[in-house]
Amino acid sequence: MVSRKVSRRRFVASTAAASTALVAAPFVRGAYAAGKLSLGLWDHWVPGANKTSEALIKEWADKEKVEVTIDYITSQGNKLLLTIAAEGQAKSGHDMLSMAHWLPARYAEQLVPVNDIMEPLIKENGAVNGTVEYLGKVGGKWLGVPATIGSQIKGPCSRIDLMKQFAGIDVQAMYPAGAPPKADAWTLDAFLKAAEACQKGGHAFGIGLGTTSDSVDSAGAIFHSFGAQLVNAKGDITVKSDNVRKALDYYKRLMAFLPEDVPAWDDASNNKWLVSGRGALIMNPPSAWAVAKRDAPKVAEQCWTHGFASGPAGRFAPFIPFFWNTWNFSKNQAAAKSLMVFLSQKTSAEKLVVASGGYDLPSFEKFTTFQTWADEAPPKGTLYHYPNPHKHQTLSIAAAPAPHKIGEQIYTQGIMPQMVVRYYKGEAMEKTLDWAAKEIEGFMRN
Amino acid sequence: MANAAVASPTATTISGRKYGSMNRDRKWALRWSYFFLILFAIFFLTPPIYMFITSLKTSAEISAESNPWWVYSPTLANYIELLTQNQYLIFFRNSAIVAVLTVLITMVISVIAAFALARMKFWGSATLATGVFLTYLIPETLLFIPLFKMFAWVNETFGIQLMNHWWTLIILYPHLTVPFCTWIMIGYFASIPKELDEAALIDGATWIQTLTKIFIPVALPGIIAATIFCFTVAWAQFLYPLAFTTSTTELVLPVGIVTTLIKGDVFNWGQIMTGALLGAAPPLIIYAFLMDYYIAGLTAGATKG
Amino acid sequence: MADIAARGSVAATGDSRSSLHKLMQRKSTIAFLMTLPLIVLILVLVAYPAGYAVYLAMLNKGMTRFVGFGNFDFLFGRETFWMVVYQSCLFAITAVIFKAIIGFVVAHFVHNIPSKGQRKWRGMLLVPWVIPPAMSTLAWLWLFDPSYSALNWILAGFDIERIPWTGETGWARFSVILVNVWIGAPFFMIMYLAALKSVPEQLYEAASIDGAAWWQRIWYVTLPMMRNIIAITALFSLIVTFANFDIVRILTRGDPLNSTQIFGTWAFRVGIESGDIPLGSAVSLFMVPILAVAATFILRDITKRGSEV
Repeated sequence: MVSRKVSRRRFVASTAAASTALVAAPFVRGAYAAGKLSLGLWDHWVPGANKTSEALIKEWADKEKVEVTIDYITSQGNKLLLTIAAEGQAKSGHDMLSMAHWLPARYAEQLVPVNDIMEPLIKENGAVNGTVEYLGKVGGKWLGVPATIGSQIKGPCSRIDLMKQFAGIDVQAMYPAGAPPKADAWTLDAFLKAAEACQKGGHAFGIGLGTTSDSVDSAGAIFHSFGAQLVNAKGDITVKSDNVRKALDYYKRLMAFLPEDVPAWDDASNNKWLVSGRGALIMNPPSAWAVAKRDAPKVAEQCWTHGFASGPAGRFAPFIPFFWNTWNFSKNQAAAKSLMVFLSQKTSAEKLVVASGGYDLPSFEKFTTFQTWADEAPPKGTLYHYPNPHKHQTLSIAAAPAPHKIGEQIYTQGIMPQMVVRYYKGEAMEKTLDWAAKEIEGFMRN
Repeated sequence: MANAAVASPTATTISGRKYGSMNRDRKWALRWSYFFLILFAIFFLTPPIYMFITSLKTSAEISAESNPWWVYSPTLANYIELLTQNQYLIFFRNSAIVAVLTVLITMVISVIAAFALARMKFWGSATLATGVFLTYLIPETLLFIPLFKMFAWVNETFGIQLMNHWWTLIILYPHLTVPFCTWIMIGYFASIPKELDEAALIDGATWIQTLTKIFIPVALPGIIAATIFCFTVAWAQFLYPLAFTTSTTELVLPVGIVTTLIKGDVFNWGQIMTGALLGAAPPLIIYAFLMDYYIAGLTAGATKG
Repeated sequence: MADIAARGSVAATGDSRSSLHKLMQRKSTIAFLMTLPLIVLILVLVAYPAGYAVYLAMLNKGMTRFVGFGNFDFLFGRETFWMVVYQSCLFAITAVIFKAIIGFVVAHFVHNIPSKGQRKWRGMLLVPWVIPPAMSTLAWLWLFDPSYSALNWILAGFDIERIPWTGETGWARFSVILVNVWIGAPFFMIMYLAALKSVPEQLYEAASIDGAAWWQRIWYVTLPMMRNIIAITALFSLIVTFANFDIVRILTRGDPLNSTQIFGTWAFRVGIESGDIPLGSAVSLFMVPILAVAATFILRDITKRGSEV
C-alpha cells in the first residue's frame, strides 16, 4: 500500500513536469533501491524476441537497482491462462504478468488499477483502439497497460501466386506496400468466391474451426462483419437474430470450401497449412510467414499479409491484445508499474517490434508506423498492412461487446466455431441457435 | 517350461500318426504366431520409430512434402541443441530428482505399512487395507482443483508457497504411488510362509528385524517391481506439474517439452520429438535391464490369491 | 520401541496371560505406528481434498455462497455434460475391451514361440507402456497431423482418401481410443503372459488328447484359469482409462465439438480455463460413483484375498 502511494506521487509529479520525463525519473532512490520483481511474460515464438525483451528489462532493472526474474510462459495449451488462474486462486505469484484478452477483466477485483500511468501514456503515445479499451478498462479503471509483446492482428496472410492463379485477385495491388489499400471490392462475397476457386484448385483456405483462439478469432471477425452478436452489451442473449443467422449461413457456405478437418485445428494447424504449401490463405499474424521464411522460403516469397474482407456491417479484423498487469497481492507494485511505463516508451516498443520481426503490435496509435513493417521481406512490404496503418479495418475481438464474464466464456469455449460446425454438419439453424442460447445461459452463472 | 512341451511333445502316449499331425499343426501355429507378432510389433513400435525418424530431420525437411518415413539429410542438430540447452537439462534434473525421491518416500512408507497390514493384524487393519485400495478410485483429475485451494490456504496460514516449485511434486506424487505399491507389497508379503516370521519372532527378533532381515530380502523382486512402477508413474505424471508449476526452472520433463517446445502457434516438431524420445529414455533403459524383475514382481503381487 | 516389543515377544513364550495381552497391545501399537505415514498420506492428500471437492462443488461460481446441489442441478441440464458422461464411459469401456483382447491375443502368440525368443518380443511389445503417455501421445499427434500426417501419406500410397484423424467426431473418438489401446495393451499382455505360464501344461495335454480344438482349449482351459487376473487387470485399466487426462488433453483438447471431452479434461476446461472452480469440482466428482461400481467388483476380489492372508 505504501509503495503504491509512493509510485503514484512520483508519477503525478513526473507527468506534471514533462511527459518525456516519464521514463527518465527513476522510481526508487537510495534507501528504497533494490527490491525484487518477478515477471511472467508471454513466451515469444520468434527466436531472439525473448532475448530482446530480457535485455530491455535488464536495462531498466540495472538503472532502478531491482532484481528481476523473468518467466516466459507459453500460451500453448493455455499454460499462461492456467498460471494466471492458479496465481489468482493461490493469491501469490508473479509481480507482473502478461494477460491476454479477457483475463484482466476476469481478475478485475484482484488487479491493481493503473489509471495513473495509462492516462499519461495515452496522452503521450496516442489513443488505443476500442477493443483494447473494452478489454482493459473495466468500470472506468484501467486494469493493465496494453502490452507490445504478443498483441497481434490475425488478418489474412495470402499466397500472391495462388490468389492470382485461382481467384484472379492481385493482393499486392489491393494492398499496395506503402500506400492506402484499394480494397473496396474485397468483400466477404469476394472472399467466398476466392475460397471456392482456391479449393477447386487444390489450395483451400486454411481457417480453423476448432475451439482454440485462432479459430475463435476468425469466427469473431466474420460474425462482427454481419453485425452478429450472441450477447449484447447489456447482457441480453441475442443469439436468435437475423444477423447471427446470416453469419451462420455465410460460414456454412465458406466451410464447404475449407479442409474437412478444420473442426480439429489448433493454433498451429493453419500455420502448417500455409507452410506446407497447401493453403492459399490463412488468418494469422505473421508467424506462419516467418516460419515459412525459415523452412520453406519459396512459400514465404509469395506471402502477403493484408486486411480482411468487409461485410454488411463493416470491415473487421480479429485482434488480440495482451496486457501487463500487477496483482493487488503483489509485493512490488510500484516497480511493476515503473517497468510497464518503461516498456511502453516508443524506443522500447520499437525494439520489441523489430526483435519480433514485426509480429508484436503496440496498441498505441503513434506506434503503428515503425519502419520494420515496411522493410520486412521477402517479398518487400509483405507486412506493411499488418499493423492496420491506414485504419481501414476495425480491430475487434470475438464475443464483444458482451459483458466480460459472459464474453470470456463464449470465447474460451469456442461457442461461435462450434455453432458453425454444428450448422454445417446438417443441424437445423434453429436447433443450433437453441443450443448456443442454452450454453450462453449457462455462462450467466455467478 | 511351457515351450519344452512345444518343442518335444511327449510321444509316449501318442500314436505316431497323431504325433506327426500335431507337429505340423504346431509348425503352422508357430508361423502364424510370428506373423501376427510382427504385425503387432509394427503397431506397437510405429510411433516411437516415427519419433526417432522425425528427431533426425531439419525443420525444413519436416515441412517439405517428401516421404515422411525417410530421412534424406539426417542431422543431430536437434539433439545437440536440446542437450546443450540449459533449460532442457534443468527439466531432466527436476524429473530425475522428483522421480527418485518419490520412489524413496513411497517405498519406505509402503513397505513398512504393507508389512504391518500383512502380518500384524490389529484393530482396523483389514478396513485400512481396503481403504488403501479405495484411494486408487480417487484419481488426480478429481483432486487437483481442491489442491489449488489447499495450497492457497497453506500459503496464507504458514507462509509456505507450494505453487510453482518442483519439490511440491515430491509431496504430491506419493499419493499416486503409495496405494498401488502397498497393495502389491501386501500381496507379496502374504505369499511368504508364516513359519518364517514366526520362527524369527520366537528366536527373539523384533518386528523391525523380521521385516528387514527376512521379509525385505525374500520380497526383493516385489520391491524392485514396485520401485519401477513407482518411478514410471512419477516420471510420467502430467496433470500435477501442468497445474502446479510454471517457471522453466521448476518444470519436469513431460510438461516442459509440451509447454516450452511447442511455442505459440509455431511448430518445432524435430525438437519436440527429440525431447519426447529423450524423455522416454530413462524408463526405457530401466525396463531394458530390469524388465524380468518387474514382470515377475508385478504379476506375482497382483495375481496372488 | 522395537526392543520393548522384542522383549515382550520373548516374555510371551512364558505363559502369563496378562503379558500375552500386553504383547498383543504392543504389537498393535507398533503396527499402527508403522501404518501411520500411510494413513496420514491418505488423509491429507486424498481424503481431505476429496471431501473438500464435495464442499467446493456446492458453492456458487464466485465461491461466496453455498448453493447445495445447485451445480449438479445445473450440470444435469447441460447437453455437454451428458456428452462427457457418455464419452467417458464409451472411451473407457471400448478401450479396455480392446486392450484386453489385443493383450490376450498377443500374450498367446508370445507364449507360443520358443522361450529363447520370448524375452526379446516381450521387451519390444512392452515399449508403448513404458514411454510416458504425454510423450507418446505427442508422437501420435504428429502422426495424425492435418497437414503432415504420415499415416495419411501411407494411405495416399494406396489411393485411400485423407482421413481427418482428429477432425471429425467419429474419427477423433477412434483416434483417442486407438492411442489409449496402444498405451494400455502391453500391460494386459504382460499380465496375461504371466497367467498363461501358470496354467499347468498337463491341462492342455489332457484337452488335446480329448480332441479339443484350439478354441476349445482356450475357452475351457485358459480362460477359466485366468479369470481372476483378467478381472483385476481389466478393472485397474478401467479406472486409469476413465480418469485419463493427458491423452485427450494433448491429442484433441476435447475437439471437435466437445466430442472427445471426458471428465478429467472437461473439469479442467470448466474449472481452470473458464474460471468456474465449483463447477469443475462438480464435474470431476461424477467420476466417483461410476468408479465405485467398478470398485465393488474389485472389492470382492480384495476380500477374497484378505481372507487368505
